[in-house]
Amino acid sequence: MAPPRVLVVDDEEDFLETLVNRLRRRGLEAQGALSGPRALELLENGVFDVAVLDVRMPGMDGIELLKEIKDRWPFLEVIMLTGHGSVESGIQGMRLGAFDYVMKPADLENLLEKIQQAHERKSLRGD
Amino acid sequence: MGRKGGKEGSRRLPWLPWVGVGLVALGSLGALLTGSQLWLVVILVLGAACCGVATGQLLAELGKARRERALLDARVVQSHKLAALGELSAGIAHEINNPLAIIGREAELMEHLVGSALAGAQDGPRAELQESLREVSRQVERCKEITRNLLSFARKMEPVFQKVDLNRLVEDMVRLVERETQGKGIQILREYHQGLEPIRTDPPGLRQVVLNLLNNARQATEQGGTITVRTKAVLGGGVEMEVQDTGCGIPREHLARIFDPFFTTKAHGKGTGLGLSICHGIVSRLGGRIGVRSQVGKGSCFTVWLPVEPGSGGNA
Repeated sequence: MAPPRVLVVDDEEDFLETLVNRLRRRGLEAQGALSGPRALELLENGVFDVAVLDVRMPGMDGIELLKEIKDRWPFLEVIMLTGHGSVESGIQGMRLGAFDYVMKPADLENLLEKIQQAHERKSLRGD
Repeated sequence: MGRKGGKEGSRRLPWLPWVGVGLVALGSLGALLTGSQLWLVVILVLGAACCGVATGQLLAELGKARRERALLDARVVQSHKLAALGELSAGIAHEINNPLAIIGREAELMEHLVGSALAGAQDGPRAELQESLREVSRQVERCKEITRNLLSFARKMEPVFQKVDLNRLVEDMVRLVERETQGKGIQILREYHQGLEPIRTDPPGLRQVVLNLLNNARQATEQGGTITVRTKAVLGGGVEMEVQDTGCGIPREHLARIFDPFFTTKAHGKGTGLGLSICHGIVSRLGGRIGVRSQVGKGSCFTVWLPVEPGSGGNA
């Protein structure tokens, strides 16, 4: 199976950069976006298997972005990053079709495992 | 999820009526040949007793079969009803979505126009007009949420089956909800069956079910109450997951309708009444079953049974 193509969306620049680099070092094709609109731009022009979205972002938040993604790319699997105090959003995210969630601060091994499962799901769909 | 013991069969005596008939025949024959009244009476009484006992057993079996049939009928009616409601609601949701989107767009446009067209006008009325248009947009958003939920209830979600460690999946969802319950003084107890075999199921679908049940339990439970989350291996095959709360419970008259779409006892605007019907739909598509036991004032317990492999049976 080809390595998963992952899009990470988070407004915290340091966090985003670190996470994208760590994912790349683990052999994944990872790209980062600092906002929802930027993420949509990248999605329009590229092919991704899994998106990792921070729930809390200024402007278009993770839930808004998730809705948009599920409307336009229903087979793209989404993993939500939820922080303390955004439980409701986590619940809403699952309801809106997210594959899973990871609690921040994200444990890399845990996140990697979930990305692999989400990727497997997308492959099983034959998409 | 009714589990039945292996009692049947042990008390059934299929040869009993034949013995009865045989004895009656023997008695009649004996009486005919010997002309003895005593023979006749003793053997006929024995034979009749055998026949009587056999008839009793037969009637009991019949009654049991009838009850099982009724239960099965109720299940079939329930799933047919939900399927029909699902189709109806999806149709309505589809029809409403388009005009809703137009109303939303127009409201946004009007808000924008009011801003520029009434630039020189008094602040008060203009702000009021804009606020009123924003309210229209908010309510449109709310309607969209409802149609989205309706569609997800009816959606023929094609499940994608993946290997799942049930305990881990459940624990992940418990942790998400626990952050909220801790602050409210509600305790979550875990009773996970260790060494549960992995199942093949649709992970995000199952997550949604677990999360919905936990969320309901959380809302039904008062401060100081407990929610117990259980996983079990089922003897006849498959696994079970239970969410039990010490909340307000569900009145008997509501139990039959609890999985119906739009049935809600939550305050107006608090629940769409779709959560449990969505759960029911997902669990059915996963080849499982969902059930509920409840006692008013004591709490409720929702049980989800799932097969280890999709399509493999378990207890009836």
